[in-house]
Order: sequence, then structure tokens, then C-alpha cells
Amino acid sequence: MSGFLQHTFNGLVGGAFYALLALGLAVIFGMLRVVNFAHGAFYMLGAFGAYVLLTEVGVPFWGALVIVPVVLGLFGMALERAFIHRLTRLDPLYNFLLTFGLTLILQDLVKSRYGVQSSPYATPAGLQGSVDFGLFTFPTYRVFVLGFAILACLGVWWLLTHTRIGMVVRAATERPELTRAFGINVGRWVTPVFGFGIALAGAAGVLAAPMRAVNPLMGTDLIIVVFAVVVIGGLGSIFGSVAAGFGIGLLQAWGEAYLSETAPILAQTLVFIVMAVVLLWRPAGLFGREESPA
Amino acid sequence: MRRTTGLAAVSAVTMLIAGCGGGGPQSSGDSKLTDDKIVLGVLNDQSGVYSELSGKNSVKAVEMAIADFKAKHGDQVITDNISVEFADHQNKPDIANNRAAELYDRKGADAIFDVPTSSAALKVADVAKAKKKPYFNITGATTELTGKACNKYTFHYAYDTYMLANGTGRTVTEQGAKNWYIVYPDYAFGQDMEKSFSAAVQAAGGTIVGKDPTPFPNDNFSTFLLKAPTLNPKPDVLGTMQAGADLVNLVKQYNEFKLREKGVSLSVGLMFLTDIHSLTPDALAGTTYTDAWYWNFDQKNREFADRFQQETGARPTFAHAANYSAAFQYLEAVQAAGTDDADKVVEQLEGKTIEDVFLRNGKIRAEDHRVIHDAYLAEVKPAAEVTEPWDYVKILKTIPAEQAFASPSADCKM
Amino acid sequence: MSETSTVQPAESPAAAVPRSALGAVGAAPGWVRYALLLVGLAVALWLPNGLYPAIAVDILCWALFAVAIDLLLGFTGLMSFGHAAFWGTSAYATGLVAIHAGVPFPVAVLAGALVAAVLAVPIGYLAVKRTGIYFAMVTLAFAQMIYYIANKWGSVTGGENGLQSVPRELFGLDLSDEYYFYYAALPIVILGLAAAWRIVHSPFGRVLVGIRDNPARARALGYPVHRYKLTAFVLSAFLAGLGGGLFVMGHRFVSLDALHWTTSGKAVIVVVLGGIGTLWGGVLGAAILVRLEDWLSYSGFETIGLVTGGIFVLVVLLFRRGIWGSVAALAQRWRVRRR
Repeated sequence: MSGFLQHTFNGLVGGAFYALLALGLAVIFGMLRVVNFAHGAFYMLGAFGAYVLLTEVGVPFWGALVIVPVVLGLFGMALERAFIHRLTRLDPLYNFLLTFGLTLILQDLVKSRYGVQSSPYATPAGLQGSVDFGLFTFPTYRVFVLGFAILACLGVWWLLTHTRIGMVVRAATERPELTRAFGINVGRWVTPVFGFGIALAGAAGVLAAPMRAVNPLMGTDLIIVVFAVVVIGGLGSIFGSVAAGFGIGLLQAWGEAYLSETAPILAQTLVFIVMAVVLLWRPAGLFGREESPA
Repeated sequence: MRRTTGLAAVSAVTMLIAGCGGGGPQSSGDSKLTDDKIVLGVLNDQSGVYSELSGKNSVKAVEMAIADFKAKHGDQVITDNISVEFADHQNKPDIANNRAAELYDRKGADAIFDVPTSSAALKVADVAKAKKKPYFNITGATTELTGKACNKYTFHYAYDTYMLANGTGRTVTEQGAKNWYIVYPDYAFGQDMEKSFSAAVQAAGGTIVGKDPTPFPNDNFSTFLLKAPTLNPKPDVLGTMQAGADLVNLVKQYNEFKLREKGVSLSVGLMFLTDIHSLTPDALAGTTYTDAWYWNFDQKNREFADRFQQETGARPTFAHAANYSAAFQYLEAVQAAGTDDADKVVEQLEGKTIEDVFLRNGKIRAEDHRVIHDAYLAEVKPAAEVTEPWDYVKILKTIPAEQAFASPSADCKM
Repeated sequence: MSETSTVQPAESPAAAVPRSALGAVGAAPGWVRYALLLVGLAVALWLPNGLYPAIAVDILCWALFAVAIDLLLGFTGLMSFGHAAFWGTSAYATGLVAIHAGVPFPVAVLAGALVAAVLAVPIGYLAVKRTGIYFAMVTLAFAQMIYYIANKWGSVTGGENGLQSVPRELFGLDLSDEYYFYYAALPIVILGLAAAWRIVHSPFGRVLVGIRDNPARARALGYPVHRYKLTAFVLSAFLAGLGGGLFVMGHRFVSLDALHWTTSGKAVIVVVLGGIGTLWGGVLGAAILVRLEDWLSYSGFETIGLVTGGIFVLVVLLFRRGIWGSVAALAQRWRVRRR
């Protein structure tokens, strides 16, 4: 029983990263109709931001957790104004391609400066111990990551339901035709929302630095899984993206714990199998609504 | 019958087109030092994951070997005109294929060195065989190079999966760690490593209490790390076959879950000096692994390392030392044969016993062209004991050459 | 065709060129078309004399791959970001058939392409349920799954060691040299390209374009939209498979790279560079990108992604018609002005 609880808790921690990344993808998609391929690259930049701040400026983890998302968010806004904005009136595929090109550039820039070997980053002071939950103990840092992710998701939920901008974003994401039909002007919120989504990816990157290998390629394989996650949750649904993020994290942890020995191939491709089933059963995703074909 | 004539016609047309072009392949013929030069080709990864542990500095190491060779033979040297050509294969076997053929055909390379990643390493062995030119693989890990894929012109230097797994599995078990939990990445390298490793542990009287394949690539090993201390009986050692970024992920998380404090120590299948550098020695303190060569092992190595550092600004990894050694030994064989004719050079190399800065008790096995030599069980020092940059490990035990490598495989038919 | 239709901004990748640029070539005088065809054939025949033959073979394979992707992207409006699954699966199947059956290489390549087409049925069935950006993500995810399976299934695929020493057999002819192999492979590539041209210009192809431009209308007219898309997907996978199979024969081995998502990405880059919806633009794009990568790997330039990524961003921002499309549009405008 304690083993099961432990794996469950662990799955939620893994899901926290999916949820933060999927949430950013979903709000950006909602406002801009852009699937940001570079989301994984921004996650990577977040981790490198933390590393650079620590080694070259001497700013510790806590500082990085504040500074990096803000800086990356501003960088994202600049990118949106400079490039993405120019293509938003065209087919979303163009921006998918554009952000794919940006991914290659960002990765290579980091690679040429810091190499491909992973860069070291230690667990922050004060979070190095373990927390005793009675039935099991768990590294403090991971408990913190999970808490942070849950708070971030709740915070975004509050923004979406209690602020004017939030309601615009929610309306634009979940009822795009209706929003436009009502003549609500979403234009001026586009750039800040893009920056906000990037900031979430940056925060996820900072959180990953102490527990994962920090290297230029850390975001690329992850982003493909996150794509599967948002397809499962329904890209048009903010809640769905977050729920699918945590859900897939849980499934992966259980799969690895109980299927690795008996059916490793199943454990390793679980997320894609779930995606196939969801596509068969509910093509718009578990929480998505079928849009009228454009 | 009619079919044959038809085919002959088809091939005649093909030949004709080829002939008209005039740029068809020129058979490179034999360049028996008639052109009075020797070209050494270095084909490796100069921009990707292997660029730091081998890469450009391996080209430097080969240049050092040429200088030392010339200095050693003075006036007697077979030719003064020895140069290096290098190419980047970006870890892609298709590029490696084109580059290797080009090095041999167009750049006049007499031999190719290095070639990391197994798929590229095996592909180049194929090219060497077709072009009938020597090839010294240094950084490929697969034992297939001296197994199914072995051929007259391919030599495998430095290390392989058997050496890594056997060295660590056997030696650590003999030193008292009986119960093992093994995690391995679920692809060819990891699967090979796991087999050799489990066999070595069991042969030395140890027990595998659990083993799990993990996805590859993977950034989250927490499930397996949670599982480790709950196994029954509790494992003494976690043996990980992960490499590169996956290894860094695993080690970070191993420390997070405080497995060492819970009495589960760590043994690594494949680790390079550059991995320790990127994880910092503290994260790995007490971790054991098998090394093919270590720069601060003795005075001889240290002298080489000092010279290497003057040239490159970095300490040599075993790949650098092995490239140096392979280039030097190749040139020695050319000198002894009095020609760069590939067959005669290979004849010189086969069965030769060698002592140099890299090869200790070294021997080039004639049966499968495996170059055997002493290997070392290494342990990462805690940060407090690290007194100078890059001096991260201490050597616990020397594994004699005969034990370090597998005996020649039955799959190898020269 | 009016002038405005050629200069107005493209609304979707698919609509970037077709009615204007494809029309431009189509509307070109007959002699221009034949001249272009002849020049193309002459270049194809000369290629391995001007380039390293192995690179010339690579260009052929990538040209097929690009045309396969354009068939979907340009003429059906579906962007597959996971076509490496078919290129790579065919590569493995071709290699395995050649190793175990010892058949002439064109037979092995055909078998490989068929396997790719069969794999495309279930993947396509699921993927065509979504359109646009979702389609790209779904295909990408499925391709990644195939990659995982091939990597793990080392006993068949050789895992990361790859499938080595694939024989290149053609009735006992000596094709061990890339130079001769190029000419042996060329007819297959030309057949593949001709098939693509035929598909686009068939009634079936016109329905595809109709679906791309207005799926609702096509559905209203009674066309089974999903089935048409699926058929296009399978045909495209087959063509990509031909390319992948030849690629294996060219290199005489298969590696996991063939299935990696970067291979899918590179193929899409090739198409966008050449010009979406132009069919032949992909051939041009393949020649340029393969040659460029080859040159970069010699130049000692370490940031290859910076160059390819930069080209990509520039093309998407400034030259959405791609090279072929831009030239065709210019030619058309020139003709219109002269009239």
C-alpha cells in the first residue's frame, strides 16, 4: 500500500511538469491559435537561465525562480511582436513551422555557448531533505515542485475566472467563434498572454534544473509527449490540458512501477496508446469540444 | 539465355552512360607510398554529444602521434609527409558512410580513426572492408565490431560493452556487494550491457534481485529509484547502464532520493571523465565504474596528459589517449612493413604485443582484431579529496588484459 | 487568371501556391513545359558526375520523400510531422527483405514501401479525424511511438546498431559503386515522381484539392472526405517509403535516425524551402538542403541547426511560396505584364 501511494505521489510530480507545459501551450493556443513548437526550447532556456544565474551571477534558485520566468516572458513577448504576430492571420501551420525553426536556432545557440554535456545544478539549500508522510517519505524538493505546480494551476484558474483578461482568454480559448461573434477584441491581450505562457515554460525549466540533466536537448523529446498530452486533454480546453498532464504523469508512474518487468513496451509507449484510444473514442480530446471545421 | 543477353545490354548501356560522364569512380589503386605520403583520417563527432570526450581534441592527439613518430625515427622515417584529414559525422551513420568513403577515395586517407556511436562504427567497418583500408575504431562500444561485423581491416581499440559491464559487475561483486538491482535503457546498448553485466555478477557469486528496462531517452527515473530500497532482499548496489544525459538524470535523482544513505550504492556501466565533470564529483562520490585509461594513473600517463594539456588546454579522456596510441602504432607498422600497402600493414599489426602510454600489456589479437589491454576499476573521489581540476577518480584495481575482454567470438569470421 | 490572385498573401500553406503557381506552370506554353522537363532529365542524368555520387543518391531519395509530403501538405492540406515513421519503417522493411530474401533491390524497395503503406492505414485512420495543427501533432506523436518500438525491438531492427550490410542485388550486376547505383535507382525515382504527378492531375487529385479548399462543400457534395484523406495519406506514405527504401539501398544500412522526428522535420523543411503545393519544388529543396548539409559538415561549422533553422524562419516569414513557387509567380507576373 505504501508502495502504491509512493508511486502515485511520484506520478503527480512527473505530471506537474506536463501540466505546467500543457497549460502554457493551451493558453497560447487559445489566444493565438498557435501551437508553440518552441515550448520545449523555452523549458530548456528556463533550466539554463537558472544555471547561468547561479554560476555567472551568483543568484540562487529562489532568485532564479522569480527572475527567469519574467525575463523569458519578456523575451517571448518580443518574439511574438517580431515574428509570430506577422503570421497569425495565416494558417496556424505557418507558426508551427516558424516556432520549429526557432527551436533549432535556440538549441544551437545554447549548444555553441555551453556545449552538449549536461551542466551541473544542485538541489537548492533548504529543500535537500525528505518529508515523512507516515506511510512513506519523499524528497522535500519534489514535494515543493508538486506544491508549486498545483499553486500555479490554481492561480491561473483564479485569474481565468476572476479577472477580465482571464475571462477574455477563457472565452477565446473555449468558444472561439462565439467570442468573435460578440465582437470581443482579443488583440491587445495576445502579446501578454504569449509571454505568460512562455513564463510558465520557463518556470518549469527552473524547477527541472535541480532534478534533471540540464542540456540543450532536454526540451525536445519532452515536448512531443506534451503534444500527446494536450491532444488527450483537448487543446481547446485549459482545464483538460492540466488534468491530462497530471493524469498522464500518474499513468506513466504506475505503468513503470507495475508493467516494466512484464510488459515494458506497454509501459514505455503508454502515453501514445492512450492518445490513440482517445482519438478513436473522442477525437476532440477528453475535455475538448469539436470545432466546426475551418 | 535470352535474359542474360538482355542484362548484358542493360549493363552495357549503364557503363556507357557512366563512361560518357567521365567523372565515374576512379579506382584508387594502390598508393604504395608512391605518392610519398601518408594521410590519417579522423572521423568523429565534432559538434554533438561525443564532441567533448573525443571530437577535435582527438585530431590533436593524432597530430601528437605523428610528431612523436617522426621524432622517434629521425632520418630513418619512411616519409616526412604525414598529414591528418578530419570530418564531422554528426553521429549520423549515413553521413559517416559518405564521409568514410570520401576520406579513403578522395582525401587519400590510408587509415581512419575514432568513429563514435555503434551504428556509425559498424557502417565504417563495412566501408573499410569494401575499400580494403585499415580502420581503427576507438569510441564505438559494440562488441559486434569484433563479432559478426569483424573483418580483416577493422581493429577495435579502447573499450567495448563487455569490458565495461564485466569489469564493474565482476569486480564490485568480488569486493563484497552481493545483491544487485539493475536498471538499463531499453535499446541495443543497454540490453547488451545488461546481459554482460548480469552474467558477470552471477559468475562472481552475486545475485540480481531485480532488473528493469527504462524508456530511452528518459528524464524521470524516480519510479525505479523508489522501488530499489523496497526490493527483497534489499540490493547493495544499483547498477545503471544509462549513458550520457540519461545517466546525469539518473544520478541527480539517485542523490535526491538519498539511496546512498539508504545503503544502496551506485555502479555505472559507462561513464566518461566529462560526465563526472558535468555532474560534479560530489554528486558521484563513491560511485564505481570501469575505465579504459586514466590520465593521472601513473607518471607516464601524467606526462602525456601534461603535454596534451599544453596542446589543447584540457586533460585527455581515454578516447584521446587511445587515438594517439592507435595512430602511433599504425605508423610504426607502416615503418616496419616499409609500405602503406594495407595487407602488409595489417600483417604487421596482427598478433603484435605492445606497451605504450595507452596500451598496458597490450596485444592485437589476430583472431578478431580486438586490441586487449589492462582496464581499471575506478571510484569517484569525494570533492574534499579532489586536489586539482579533472583529477576526479582513484583507481581501485587493475583488471588484467586477459580478463578485461571477452575471448574471441565464434561469430567472427575474418 | 488575374494579377491579384498571384500577389495576394497566402492564407494557408496549401493555398500558398496552387491555383496561382501550379496554374502558372500549367498555363505556360507547351514548349516551356517540355523544355523544363528535358532540362530536369538532363540534370538528373548528369548529377553524379558533378557531385559526389553518394550525395546524388541522397538527393534522389529526399526528393521522393519531399514530393510525398507535398502530396499531403500541398494538395490535401494535411501537414504530417511524422512522416519519418513511413520513411523509416520502409527502410527497415526493405533492409530486412533484402537481407533475408536476397531479392533484386527494386523488389525489396517495393516491399518496403508496401509495408509503409500498410502501417499508414491505422495511423492515418486515427490522424485524419483531426485537421490542421492537430493533425501535425498527432502524426508526430505516432511517429515517436514507432521510434520507441524500433529502438526497443533490437532483435529485429538491430536497435541503435542499425541494420548493417544490406545487400544490393540486381541480377548479378555489380552495383557496389554509388555511381552505378545512382543510375539503377533513377528509374524508380522517376516512376515515383511521375506517379505523384499523375495522382495530382487525376480526378482523385482534384477532389483532394476541393476537400483542402472547402471540406464542408466537398462533404455536402457527397464525397467521403475521411476516406479521400486516408487514401491520400496512404499513397503519400507509399511514396515516402519508396524514398526510404532507396535510401537504405544507397547506404546499405538502416539506422534509427531514419525514424527520428528530426527526419520528419527535415522533410517538411525541404518542402517549404522548395515551395508547398508545387510538387517539383520539393525536388529542388531536397537538392539544396542535402548539398548544404554536406557542405556544412565539412566546413567545420558547428551550429548546423542555426543555419537550417535560420533558413526555415526566413522562408516562412518572407518567401512562403518557396523557391519554385516564387519563381513561378515571377514568371507569371512577367507574362501578364507583357501581355
